[in-house]
Amino acid sequence: MSTLRPYRNAVRASLTAALCLSNFASQVAERHNVPEVEAKTSPELLLNNLVVARNKDERVLIEPSINSVRVSIKVKQADEIEDILVHKFSRFLSQRAESFLILRRKPIQDYDISFLITNTHTEQLLTNKLVDFILAFMEDVDKEISEMKLFVNSRARSVAETFLVQPEAKLGAITDRERGKARFAGVEG
Amino acid sequence: MSIIQQHTAASLSDAWRTIDIDALVEDSSVNFDTSTLHPPQPETSEAEVRQINGQVRQLLRGGDAEGALRGALETPVYNGPDAAKDAHLHTVIEVLQSIKASDMTPMLQRIYATPGGSECLDVLMKYLYKGMAATTTASGSGDSSAPRTPTSGVRGGMTPQQTGFSQVGARAGASSDSTGAAMSVLLSWHEKVVDVAGMGCIGRCMTDWRKV
Repeated sequence: MSTLRPYRNAVRASLTAALCLSNFASQVAERHNVPEVEAKTSPELLLNNLVVARNKDERVLIEPSINSVRVSIKVKQADEIEDILVHKFSRFLSQRAESFLILRRKPIQDYDISFLITNTHTEQLLTNKLVDFILAFMEDVDKEISEMKLFVNSRARSVAETFLVQPEAKLGAITDRERGKARFAGVEG
Repeated sequence: MSIIQQHTAASLSDAWRTIDIDALVEDSSVNFDTSTLHPPQPETSEAEVRQINGQVRQLLRGGDAEGALRGALETPVYNGPDAAKDAHLHTVIEVLQSIKASDMTPMLQRIYATPGGSECLDVLMKYLYKGMAATTTASGSGDSSAPRTPTSGVRGGMTPQQTGFSQVGARAGASSDSTGAAMSVLLSWHEKVVDVAGMGCIGRCMTDWRKV
């Protein structure tokens, strides 16, 4: 029973529907044009949030508004190692947000990584490619995290092996030194 | 009084900087009254919901899954206490879970073809999104879903923390099994509804002020 395909389909459909944006200037400040989903200045411009979830720790939150959509992804984290890996990874990406155009600098609370897509992006880029990018991103992150976890585990194993081999040699060294010290003390005394 | 203002504990801390002063101005756009955007909905009480749910369950027991689904979707709880909304959501999910995967598409097509069927599927879509949102957030906080999912109490804090070095247990955590199964039902329904009713269904779901 794989839920990956329906999950991806649901995210794709929801994103495509949400990426229906228009140019809309701020109603509050003259000659300003801000993403309403971030500014939250007028409740009538914000639409209902959509949550697509695969299970309780793998979900996507889509917050649509008239001129911008905020997409937040919660990456699967089964244990503490994945937790750390996801945190490091999303931080690494967020610091390079400029090169991703739609990446948000800070993920919103309870999610690992957020995208902010405004009407400028949908005008300059192809909407269906944007959706493809986010889906490919989700897939890549999962792949990357599980790969890194395997690396960490194999590294931990080899570290543990070297660590456990060490004491025998160390033990010999210590006794030698102790013996030397004892001899030295004997000479002194 | 001198120009130097009296210092108080409140003015010395930075807390006042985070106060949203726009919300305090009455004619600020933040305080736009969104209730003018949609007609008022009749309020449904918890007792009424329970009665409807009883009828739906009876239809379901009688083997009329389509009737049960229609019945549940024709009486959405737009305006009512949270308990009533949750109860109705629970009923809808129960009906959805009891329908076989091979029956989904033909049933949706039949409902869609009837008058008012498109409205029904919009409501279904709203419940699918609500179901996904409710299950994920409720299992995080733990208390609100406690009466509905009996396993959630155990899920709260008693599962031992996995260290990440075991690759066996990490693949499918026993705790996420029950929510995962519920999600897979909702996700496959979502797929089928989009197939039958199209993308507009999601669009109406986002823009509709009548929230389930």
